[in-house]
Amino acid sequence: MSALLQIEDLRVTFNTRHGPVTALDSVSLSVNAGETLGVVGESGCGKSITALSVMGLIPSPPGKIAGGAIRLAGEDLTRATEARMRALRGAEMAMIFQEPMTSLNPVFTVGDQIAEAIMLHQKVSADQAFRDAVALLDRVGIPSPDRRAREYPHQLSGGMRQRVMIAMAVSCRPKVLIADEPTTALDVTVQAQIFDLLNEIQRDFGAAIILITHDMGAISEMADRVAVMYAGRVIEQGLADDVLDLPQHPYTRGLISCIPALGKGEDTLREIPGVVPPLHLLGAGCAFAERCAHRAPRCDSEKPLLRAQGHHPVACHAVAEGRI
Amino acid sequence: MSPLLDVRDLTVQFALPRQGFFGPRPVLEAVRQVSFSLEQGRALGIVGESGSGKTTTAMATIRLVEAASGQVMFQGEDLLQLDDEAMRKRRRDVQLIFQDPYSSLNPRARVADIVREPMDLMEIGTPDERRARVTELFRLVGLRPDQLNLFPHQFSGGQRQRISIARALTTNPKLLVCDEPVSALDVAIQAQILNLLARLKTELGLSYLFISHDLGVVRHVCDDVAVMYLGKIVEMAPRDALFDAPQHPYTQALLSAAPSLARRKSRGYVRPVKISGDPPSPINPPKGCAFADRCPSAQDICRRVQPLLETRGQTSVACHFPG
Repeated sequence: MSALLQIEDLRVTFNTRHGPVTALDSVSLSVNAGETLGVVGESGCGKSITALSVMGLIPSPPGKIAGGAIRLAGEDLTRATEARMRALRGAEMAMIFQEPMTSLNPVFTVGDQIAEAIMLHQKVSADQAFRDAVALLDRVGIPSPDRRAREYPHQLSGGMRQRVMIAMAVSCRPKVLIADEPTTALDVTVQAQIFDLLNEIQRDFGAAIILITHDMGAISEMADRVAVMYAGRVIEQGLADDVLDLPQHPYTRGLISCIPALGKGEDTLREIPGVVPPLHLLGAGCAFAERCAHRAPRCDSEKPLLRAQGHHPVACHAVAEGRI
Repeated sequence: MSPLLDVRDLTVQFALPRQGFFGPRPVLEAVRQVSFSLEQGRALGIVGESGSGKTTTAMATIRLVEAASGQVMFQGEDLLQLDDEAMRKRRRDVQLIFQDPYSSLNPRARVADIVREPMDLMEIGTPDERRARVTELFRLVGLRPDQLNLFPHQFSGGQRQRISIARALTTNPKLLVCDEPVSALDVAIQAQILNLLARLKTELGLSYLFISHDLGVVRHVCDDVAVMYLGKIVEMAPRDALFDAPQHPYTQALLSAAPSLARRKSRGYVRPVKISGDPPSPINPPKGCAFADRCPSAQDICRRVQPLLETRGQTSVACHFPG
């Protein structure tokens, strides 16, 4: 059986003042119903571009899907018309953004905004849609939902706004829910509440969740499977346990060991030197070579491909050659 | 030996807009009678969520925000009593690193000038000595001398934070206030800056007042930790005591909310301490314990009587039912 959402060999390019750059290169990911896929990496690694590609929200021009396929229950979204995408967005797949304040309309009450999403996809009266909206606010844990539904986004706290976003996203029970750094703007106790809520909703609706984050701790708590991205490519992919306990790629190892742990840690954190290279400066070799302790001549001349090594696929010459 | 910094009953109030034309001006108490001390060469972490008053506490300590009352003894001298000129002279001993390395550096100035400026203002050394000091600081924070004449936009976020650190160190300060110094950085870059701060602390014997919302970061850098909630310190302890045996339910909730690699979905992890809701408004703080409404073990007394900070072993905790 094929997965609910399957991204195959996706390639996305952008025209920039430096000429065309490849933002995503041979990205293949899949997620099943009821499963959470964590996508992790630093800023500029292509995590959000992957999410926007699935939603059909890549700004075009300058961006364009230059190859590959995105299959939602078998249907290739890269070939879908804009009208078809509009019908799918919200109903079959939905996205939760990082900053709830900028993704909500400040001049409508939150109840009306959720009701609008419901009426777009379901044949219900305005009254019924508003009652559904109140029920959803209650479901996502907003106290006195009747009153809150009649309030405007600025009257809610950051955590409540993100709950409103989640209520809106799940209003039509989408099959796929993409959460792009949903808690970055929130405090840690509120982040925990949002994570718990996402897990509950997954149990209720059986949705597939793609969680995009830079936080390996969040991956550990939330994800069944993980894809690690670097400079527009997936460099390691597997079950969360395998990737977190037996990371193979030097970048994944670095990401895990550079987190200051809550438990007793070493005095010095392992660092990854340098920064993610700008996409227009990527050469023929491995994009991570510049920052890698296991760099060899081959790493500069040939891009490593994602292939099965040990437990799970990884794209690294040093691992393939048994040097690490 | 007396501590480098000893803060007693620090209180900061902000006046809010008048309610109505002739109405009273309500007062918001952002920091409420906070006391702590910091020894030379140690780092005190102040942890809390947004609105807990952690940044205001630090800013009031170094007089960048006006305190309503209290005492800030720095090397035996009350900073709050100094006149402007004396305070200006004192500033060479207390420096600051900001959260955002993008907005805290002048985009039109060359980085060598940015780093040298505190010495120019304080009239430290001859021009040649100042230039030599800038080069030395660049090396100390891990930048190259050939980068001296570049502009801030030519650096990455991590490098900019290194420039901010170099600027803060020019006057040989004794106390460095770090306000969320790594929260704007990617995790791989965070580690570089945290290691740098740890190394500078040992090499230069610096003391840090370290503001952060990230408990992992605080555990890594700080010797002692104070947890703030709604303008008050609710728990303060040496690092290991706080992380291994947190006494206040809020500290416990913070620790269980922080994502960690030790907690796996695959192993059926369910958060043990759950707290709901948001902190109460500081404009009209509750009469009893500020955390009572979110606390899993709150009793009647918690809503009536405000708990005081009391010492239990190594830990000071403000809770009627600690442990």
